[in-house]
Amino acid sequence: MTLREQFVIPKRYNTLSIALMLLGAISIIILYITTHGGSGTVEEKNANDARFWSSLLTNSVYFLLVTNAAMFFICATTLAWGGWQMSFRRVTEAISACVPVLGVVSGVILLAICFSNNHQIYHWTDAEHVKQDPILLYKSGFLNKGFFTIWTIITILGWSGLGWKMRQLSRSIDDKHLTIEEGKKYVWNNTVWAAIFIVFFSLTVMSSIPWLWLMSINAHWYSTMYSWYTFASSFVAGISLIVLFVIFLKNNNYLELTNNEHLHDLGKFMFAFSIFWTYLWFSQFMLIWYANIPEETVYFKPRYGGAYSGLYWLMFTINFLAPLLILMTKDSKRRYSTMTFMAVLIIFGHWLNFYQMVFAGPLPNHVPSIMFDFGVALGFIGLIMFVTAKSLAKHPLLAKNHPFFKESIIHHT
Amino acid sequence: MSLLRYESQVRPALVDGDKNYHDVTEDICRPVEVKPSKLWWVGFLISVGLLVFGIVSVTVEVIYGTGQWNLNKTVGWGWDITNFVWWVGIGHAGTLISAILLLFRQGWRTGVNRAAEAMTIFAVMCAGQFPIWHMGRVWMAFFVLPYPNTRGPLWVNFNSPLLWDVFAISTYFTVSLLFWYSGLLPDLATLRDRAKLKWRKFFYGVTSFGWTGSTKHWQRHEALSLVLAGISTPLVLSVHTIVSFDFATSVVPGWHTTIFPPYFVAGAIFSGFAMVQTLLLVTRKVLGLSQYITIEHIEVMNKVIVLTGSIVGIAYLTELFISWYGANQYENFAFFQNRLNLASPYGWSYWIMMGCNVLSPQIFWFRKMRRNLLVTFFMSILVNVGMWFERFVIIVTSIYRDYLPSSWSTYYTPTIWEVGFYMGTFGLFFTCYFLFSKFFPVIAIAEIKHILKRSGDGFKEKMDGVEKEEVEEFAEEQLHEH
Repeated sequence: MTLREQFVIPKRYNTLSIALMLLGAISIIILYITTHGGSGTVEEKNANDARFWSSLLTNSVYFLLVTNAAMFFICATTLAWGGWQMSFRRVTEAISACVPVLGVVSGVILLAICFSNNHQIYHWTDAEHVKQDPILLYKSGFLNKGFFTIWTIITILGWSGLGWKMRQLSRSIDDKHLTIEEGKKYVWNNTVWAAIFIVFFSLTVMSSIPWLWLMSINAHWYSTMYSWYTFASSFVAGISLIVLFVIFLKNNNYLELTNNEHLHDLGKFMFAFSIFWTYLWFSQFMLIWYANIPEETVYFKPRYGGAYSGLYWLMFTINFLAPLLILMTKDSKRRYSTMTFMAVLIIFGHWLNFYQMVFAGPLPNHVPSIMFDFGVALGFIGLIMFVTAKSLAKHPLLAKNHPFFKESIIHHT
Repeated sequence: MSLLRYESQVRPALVDGDKNYHDVTEDICRPVEVKPSKLWWVGFLISVGLLVFGIVSVTVEVIYGTGQWNLNKTVGWGWDITNFVWWVGIGHAGTLISAILLLFRQGWRTGVNRAAEAMTIFAVMCAGQFPIWHMGRVWMAFFVLPYPNTRGPLWVNFNSPLLWDVFAISTYFTVSLLFWYSGLLPDLATLRDRAKLKWRKFFYGVTSFGWTGSTKHWQRHEALSLVLAGISTPLVLSVHTIVSFDFATSVVPGWHTTIFPPYFVAGAIFSGFAMVQTLLLVTRKVLGLSQYITIEHIEVMNKVIVLTGSIVGIAYLTELFISWYGANQYENFAFFQNRLNLASPYGWSYWIMMGCNVLSPQIFWFRKMRRNLLVTFFMSILVNVGMWFERFVIIVTSIYRDYLPSSWSTYYTPTIWEVGFYMGTFGLFFTCYFLFSKFFPVIAIAEIKHILKRSGDGFKEKMDGVEKEEVEEFAEEQLHEH
């Protein structure tokens, strides 16, 4: 059996990814022009400017976390000694190669918002305002520009560096057959680095980073669940992205050793983590609703009952009801068309989730036209397509010397 | 050669000693078929003794009322509800192993699932005692069931998480019992077929429901396991989620926090695995089953312990951080004065919790520690002490100083009857476990046979040729012959 190990980027794919990036760039330009021209009071100008930056913030952070979820998937399966995912492991690696690129983009955007003169998004950056606000003054030990900058940079460097190390370990045996003893050592080495990544991941994505980047938009409000909720959202979208690339490669006659069984398992992950996300959503929402403390309910007012309610419940329907009903059966998880549709839907649904998480902060009273934000999102998707394909084409498509690779060939769900 | 399953030789074997199918049956049935050892009798009698102490304690409480317990003005929940949550938590490991690990196709679960599931059932039985006897007028216990009644408009309060708990726990118990028992059927039939005494033949004949081992039976059995696994999976989450709602829906500082549901679930699995370790380390030694419950099983479970312990650790730190970040003076007081402050009346309990649950399990990052039986045994006890204190910290440190300083209670210490009741549930738990280990196979015979030809050490060695094949060659053979 000959395996097609060298991925060649199809021309149409390349054109599409570049076209999407251009579309994104145009959307950003139009958005900038429409929000920065014209006259108005300072407040109106600030609100418009915040609307522009909110779009960049939503999209960059969302897609950064989604691509980083691919590395989380690799490390979690490595720690659990999983074997089934080996046949498409290079796909997850290639997606995670976007993290440094998106990390730089997000880092620049986050710091630009943090250091701008417009404090509409991060109120706590306004030194004058903080002086009069006892709560923000109290929080300034955590919510300050210095810590924000340092921790943002460390985080992005950490994800990129540790991710690079994991990918590098995977490629290091491309031309080398391992004996059983060498295999044991190799698996051990992977386990150690995966563990380091997971620890760093839990100190960032599962705790501090969502507090800093997103929760601090509503600087007075707090919820202990927030970071886990954000993680669940980005992880299920991350799995969906993996599904899309696997199906794309299968349709182009690559990944001969990946079959319906693997797709079925990925479908289970999409299903299970959609339910998990809903579980976290429910726990957070329900506990705040039940206790009905104004300091806490204030966050949900514009979201579930105010200007954003349509979007909010649409997002809930897409992220919970759709996967629950559509992905429940075995057949749907093994069908390319259903899986593609659901993966796109889930990525969109969690994008809407991030949209309401960010936008209802600076703009609680009305939902801006979402068209341009969607255009910006397409630009980021183009960028992910471009970088992922480049990375896929650079290295063999199969990590076939991994000790568990053969387990992945005979895989039954 | 076309294979149905293949496992890399890099993975350690899960069944040691070059066993064949017959050896598996012999080894696991033997403890059931021989007379119990002296050690078994000693353990059993101690357990029964504790159970009797528990019964006396509860009887005193029923006769004289809950005043026999030291609950006071602010501490209305003390040891009783702490113990309840602790026992429910312990049950979770069984469900996780039988349901979620089945869905994740984890081969190592087969060595430990039977005992863990039995443990779940006994732990839930123990847990159930506390809310029931806490009612005081226990003969009114049926009031918690919602049904049209002659008591006028006196219905249960559907808005209360305490009622949801009634539903959650009873569902959990039912499903766990079904899961455990349906898994037992083929093994009970094995015991029936091997029985030489009349009463044994009768007993195992009745309990195995006429299992013949036909293909049809197996097919239905497999389907049932999968359905029950599907039902149990959300139950693993829902039960402790609802237990956490008992606290988190309130506005009591230290209780009202949104992370409670997943953090309670992680903590439950954490303590459950510790209890599985305690039981299995003893079981494998006493019943001579160390070739089935191998050091690999112990190591994997220690990994689960360090994972869940760290999740719990992240949750503790998140709570602590947000109690500061939230700028709510009451939350702040609950955490920094009532818990973190070692000089406060219960500060010590917070630090025991942190030490046992977060700090000490970190030694399991090291392979040597994970594979050390003594360390594992010690840690398994320590974790359960820590998890007991977690519930104690949550309950007592939050309520002994409520919003009204004038009602701040004096120090709460349990009476002998509260302690006796707790000891009694240990008696109940271990009495059940001893009986189980005597009359039922503590390892799922059928499931071990299922993985034997993939993960047994003798069979793994025969796979040398396949292991050395090129991927292309291997794929050719495997994918074209089907």
